[in-house]
Amino acid sequence: MLDYVELEADLGEEERLIRDTARRFVDEKVRPDIAEHYIEGTFPTELIPEMGEMGFYAPNLDGYGLPGVSETAYGLLMQELEACDSGLRSMASVQGALVMYPIHAFGSDEQKEEWLPKLGAGEAVGCFGLTEPAHGSNPSGMETRAEKDGGEYVLHGSKTWITNSPIADVAVVWARDTSAEGRPVRGFLVETDRDGVTTNEIKEKLSLRASITGEIGLNDVRVPEENVLPGVEGMKGPLSCLTQARYGIAWGAVGAARDCFETARRYALDREQFGGPIARFQIQQEKLAEMATQITTAQLLAYRLAELKERGDLRPQHVSMAKRNNVRTARDQARVAREMLGGNGITADYSPMRHMANMETVYTYEGTHDIHSLILGQDLTGIAAFE
Amino acid sequence: MMKVLVTVKEVAEVEEDFEIEGTGIADRYLEYDLNEWDDYAVEEAVQIAETGDDIEVVSVTIGPERCEETIRMALAKGVDRAIRVWDDALAETDLLDVAAKTRILRAVVEAEEPDLVFTGVQAGDDSFGATGVSLADAVGFEWAAVVNDLDVDAVLDESVARVHRELEGGVDEVTEVDLPAVLTIQTGINEPRYASLRGIRQAQRKEIAEKHLADLGLDAEAVETDVRLTEMYEPESESDATIFEGSAEETAAQLAQVLREKGVGAE
Ligand SMILES: Cc1cc2nc3c(=O)[nH]c(=O)nc-3n(C[C@H](O)[C@H](O)[C@H](O)COP(=O)(O)OP(=O)(O)OC[C@H]3O[C@@H](n4cnc5c(N)ncnc54)[C@H](O)[C@@H]3O)c2cc1C
Repeated sequence: MLDYVELEADLGEEERLIRDTARRFVDEKVRPDIAEHYIEGTFPTELIPEMGEMGFYAPNLDGYGLPGVSETAYGLLMQELEACDSGLRSMASVQGALVMYPIHAFGSDEQKEEWLPKLGAGEAVGCFGLTEPAHGSNPSGMETRAEKDGGEYVLHGSKTWITNSPIADVAVVWARDTSAEGRPVRGFLVETDRDGVTTNEIKEKLSLRASITGEIGLNDVRVPEENVLPGVEGMKGPLSCLTQARYGIAWGAVGAARDCFETARRYALDREQFGGPIARFQIQQEKLAEMATQITTAQLLAYRLAELKERGDLRPQHVSMAKRNNVRTARDQARVAREMLGGNGITADYSPMRHMANMETVYTYEGTHDIHSLILGQDLTGIAAFE
Repeated sequence: MMKVLVTVKEVAEVEEDFEIEGTGIADRYLEYDLNEWDDYAVEEAVQIAETGDDIEVVSVTIGPERCEETIRMALAKGVDRAIRVWDDALAETDLLDVAAKTRILRAVVEAEEPDLVFTGVQAGDDSFGATGVSLADAVGFEWAAVVNDLDVDAVLDESVARVHRELEGGVDEVTEVDLPAVLTIQTGINEPRYASLRGIRQAQRKEIAEKHLADLGLDAEAVETDVRLTEMYEPESESDATIFEGSAEETAAQLAQVLREKGVGAE
């Protein structure tokens, strides 16, 4: 397994064991059927509680039965999940970083007690509703609104591209509170069985097929006041969740790229043309050399993020740089790996083209590549290009 | 209060391509992991502990510091504490035979006084396949070998191990063994769990006690052996295997040609 500058040699024992147990779980439980799920456009939902038992959801948080592992261990977990498929890592990212994290960080004690144990165990599924049909890269333009009515809020609007909405029990919905001064964005816990909630599935995606995606329709949905996340107001709420999830993506992309590399290396050594393995040709070796170098660079960035996060010095812009770089790396290198596999490379029997197609989603969600360029541009020049 | 002792071993797994150096396989072709059978033994013990009250599961291994990670994984799956026996005398022996293992494990059993001892049926590397039964004999426990089913409730309620044993030809023997007993555990008796992240965290706080031979009342003589490994070689293959590649039609045609050449068939 590619770890060219031996970053894994410096891991603690606990981190190595977490990497190993995740790798084994993925190899034995998920990898054998993942191509089939990809082709069918389904997620292995029976694994949701099993992943919960493993502690794969928000393991870097403490309390409520959560293990509170190191940020490096959390990153390694995301890497192993995405080495299998971005859909698997997306499941863990949404449940952990986008649903459990805001409840943990901004929720009331009652909300935490009600939801964190169930979500952590995978007995309940959550989703995160920020994107709207008319507001993707600029979510602060959101139109979904919540109007206070006695002890309740009435929610109206629609969200789209929401991972897991069709199978979710609860949605963290971000909406403008029209009854408060300045119409601040607030987070609402909306149980999907409430009257007025619809969650249509978006079918026939050509990327991230082993992941369920849908809309959330909110047609005058009434939720009690107690369902508002009390601890946060404004775009800081959703954006802080995205920083957590993007951190996991920066690690996950390394896993996907590594899987492409390992598949291509193995194939090049096995496949014989002109009387010997294609790995003996300089052009193929150059591809492997470049791939290994790019992946190692991405891996270094991920490890550095973990150190900064662990000691509390991580800025969202650091995460933007790593998400932007590492996903681009995975996207580019998946294509190189695919081409090294020749005709076989376009089938689902091998992972590179599946990873390559998945990376189109990962390149776009959680802030597109371009948007992260603008975030870095603003940080580097002090001038915001997007306001 | 009941105690289950599980003997576990880290075994070397050999890569597909390897080289022999002297009487062993060159280290660079080896990967170390928990012996497959022991994984089932650990799971069986942990299931007993989860079913009953106040049951302690202790693992014992004979091995160098390197195997602590493997032991830690067993602790993460629910073993309460571990004993690791190692000694300069052990580091110096090339081969630890069944008699030597029995002497060491007997000392551990005498110190721990477990009600049940689980061993794997065999170890994937040296495959002596005798340690469990030899240990039972040495400590005077009842035993059952190649156990592929255990009635956990009977263990807890009646202090009896009601076991199924896998015999040749698909015959299943049902036996009752009074405790204390040694059971050698066969793969397939259960479905070993994966260590959860929570379990791995908890395992960091569990004890792995290192014991030298002297701590067990033994000395270097205990690991002396009359068995010597004299040679290691790859047997010459008697015949070559041919793998046909291609579609079903192509491979069938190739097979037909070989059969014809060998004079098989009525053409
Ligand atoms: C499979 C999948 C799952 C998803 N899951 C979720 C989820 O769980 N929850 C959720 O809330 N959302 C989710 N999303 C939505 C995702 O976050 C958005 O698609 C993303 O933010 C981009 O928004 P958009 O699609 O509206 O594209 P747009 O914002 O319309 O962008 C279109 C193009 O314009 C570029 N662009 C936009 N603004 C600028 C600018 N200022 N300067 C330069 N270029 C610009 C973009 O980079 C992009 O190339 C998911 C998306 C997908 C595909």
